[in-house]
Amino acid sequence: MLQIRWHSRAGQGAVTGAKALADVMARTGKYVQAYSVYGAEKRGAPMTAYDKIDDKPILDHSKWMIPDYVLVIDPSLVFQEEIVENTTDDTVFIVTSHLDKDDLLAMAKHLQGKKVYVIDAIKISQEEIGRAIPNTPMLGAFIKVSEIIPFEDFLVSIEDILSKFPKKIIEGNLRAIKRAYEEVK
Amino acid sequence: MAQKYELKSKEVWDGNMAAAHALRQAQVDVVAAYPITPSTPIVQNYAQFLADGYVDGEFVMVESEHSAMSACVGAAAAGGRVATATSSQGYALMVEVLYQASGMRLPIVMTVVNRALASPLNIHGDHSDLYLGRDAGWIHLIANNPQEAYDMTLCAFKIAEDERVRLPVTTNQDGFLVSHTAQVVKPLQDEDAYKFIGEYKPLNPMLDTKNPVTYGAQTEEEWHFEHKANQHKALMDSPAVIKEVFDEFEKISGRKYNLVETYKLDDADIALVLMGSAYETAILAVDKAREEGIKVGLLMPRVFRPFPYNEVAEKLKNVKAVAALDRSAPMGTTGALYNEVAGALAANGQSAIMTNYIYGLGGRDTTVEHILDVIKETNENAKAGKRVTDLQGFINLRGPKLSFN
Amino acid sequence: MATPKEMLTTWDKVQFGAVLPSFEDPEHKKRSKFHSYNYSVADWRVEKPVFNRDLCIDCDFCWVSCPDSCFIVEEVVNKRGKKQAKIVGINYNLCKGCGVCVEVCPTPIKSLLMFPEYVDNDEALKQWPKKD
Repeated sequence: MLQIRWHSRAGQGAVTGAKALADVMARTGKYVQAYSVYGAEKRGAPMTAYDKIDDKPILDHSKWMIPDYVLVIDPSLVFQEEIVENTTDDTVFIVTSHLDKDDLLAMAKHLQGKKVYVIDAIKISQEEIGRAIPNTPMLGAFIKVSEIIPFEDFLVSIEDILSKFPKKIIEGNLRAIKRAYEEVK
Repeated sequence: MAQKYELKSKEVWDGNMAAAHALRQAQVDVVAAYPITPSTPIVQNYAQFLADGYVDGEFVMVESEHSAMSACVGAAAAGGRVATATSSQGYALMVEVLYQASGMRLPIVMTVVNRALASPLNIHGDHSDLYLGRDAGWIHLIANNPQEAYDMTLCAFKIAEDERVRLPVTTNQDGFLVSHTAQVVKPLQDEDAYKFIGEYKPLNPMLDTKNPVTYGAQTEEEWHFEHKANQHKALMDSPAVIKEVFDEFEKISGRKYNLVETYKLDDADIALVLMGSAYETAILAVDKAREEGIKVGLLMPRVFRPFPYNEVAEKLKNVKAVAALDRSAPMGTTGALYNEVAGALAANGQSAIMTNYIYGLGGRDTTVEHILDVIKETNENAKAGKRVTDLQGFINLRGPKLSFN
Repeated sequence: MATPKEMLTTWDKVQFGAVLPSFEDPEHKKRSKFHSYNYSVADWRVEKPVFNRDLCIDCDFCWVSCPDSCFIVEEVVNKRGKKQAKIVGINYNLCKGCGVCVEVCPTPIKSLLMFPEYVDNDEALKQWPKKD
């Protein structure tokens, strides 16, 4: 089973991102679970969302997991040590930051020695979508790093999942996804 | 005419979305609701479907849950198919009217997302609200995942509206653990779902002005008892209809539901009894325990009311020890599920060693390992041939060991 | 903000009835660990409001609207010799950057504007829009 944990602030779209990834993977015949851990908090509060992807139906309804991937879509949460909780040396971190990897690791000591990829998902979403909703660019970066499915297949599915939105939003998101796919390091 | 909603053979829905689609496909005439976390998205999604032309019906906004259920009672008495959704404090505020709905034999469907009751305030899942409505005269169906939340809601209409039943039904799913967890759901197409439920057949509708009727009559000691006995008989007889509905549902969906669900119970020495999403987590714990040589099985009443006590006893007749796990604060006795199962065994002359565990209050995480610990303790009782563990224990509770004997 | 871990006690030590004392020492106003003053939401901020004293008319709309009581107020005596509240700044230890104060500010050129967190306040004041 592949397990993914998202770190985000309420309102940045981690739940939507986690559900979209689950939807994409379900279309390839996988079984999925996407959920989030909510407090009683409001927009801006730190929160976590989760994806489980497997070949057989997922029965475990406990919240606890050891993630294979940790996706951090808020630049300030990168500096909070909670993001490394319950991870192993094999856990892959994809984090949002305007810093390059060396500068980031110098400041975020808890990430030293971990497998870390950096993407400026905030900047990409601001420039391509017009709002700081970094969830879809993070998906582009995740597909690049994980190689979980071919990028072309991912684009077909995500375009269909986004089809309820206006054309301008869909196009902006697709541009953001493609840019993140290219720019993640 | 409502528009057809394009559905894929597999959707990724959370429990709330699944329940909302079931309400849409039932083409409910009136939904009166006062949204409350975590069931809010059921009402929100339904209102969206209505606004987008996918439902021919009325959505009534009210000022409280007491009013929501009152409006449901009014609309159902008027002669319409009626549904609502609620959780926790909202459920608690409805309780007075829940008894009115069942006493008037109105087939209202309520999609409940189970949540803890305050105080202290908590928005997360446990079965406090379900247990609060236990004696209200409703049929209570349990769903363990989004697929079941969808399936149970469709079945609920057909059970409630059957002329042999004519009782209100709740469908229950765990707050957040099911309601906000997206999983693969295989929906029926709109026409198939509607055909399964069937056209609504009004019984004594108040809107039939040629045949005026009174609802909510007063019956004192000379008459009240007979009415309540009649109502109880309908509830006690309803399993026959529930089975029929489940069988018919299997024919169109391929998914089989039973009054009592079991897992690997046939050759089991010990059994765990629990309801809700933790039942599925427990399946993984059973598989692990069996790898270690412990012959354990699971049992869940799919129908919490009417409680299928004879079926439960029959399924448990060969086990030596049973642990009943309750997701609600028992407040002064053993948990409700323990009491029901113990009563069922006693009534059938069975004497498996019984223990009770309290777990998951206010959404406290319950993992495979936690359930595995319970299995091992229960196995100790079976091996000893008598109870060597405490009568009532607490799972994943922080602090010194708390137990009662 | 999540409840701090050190407050999550065991079942035998939790506060009776979940009744939480605001003060350890009410007489000397010594705040307890449960006092809402200790629940900082400042780390939620992505953008911050900057206050321009030169444009402010002391209407107090921001002070009333702020959900976190961020606005620092001084008591001053006005020209007519009456006591008056004067807004003098923002407590960034309390502000979560919601922007409500900017929304309600009524001056023709707003006396509160949102800036990126990393922009220095003096720099922000230099960038302030000018009258045409």
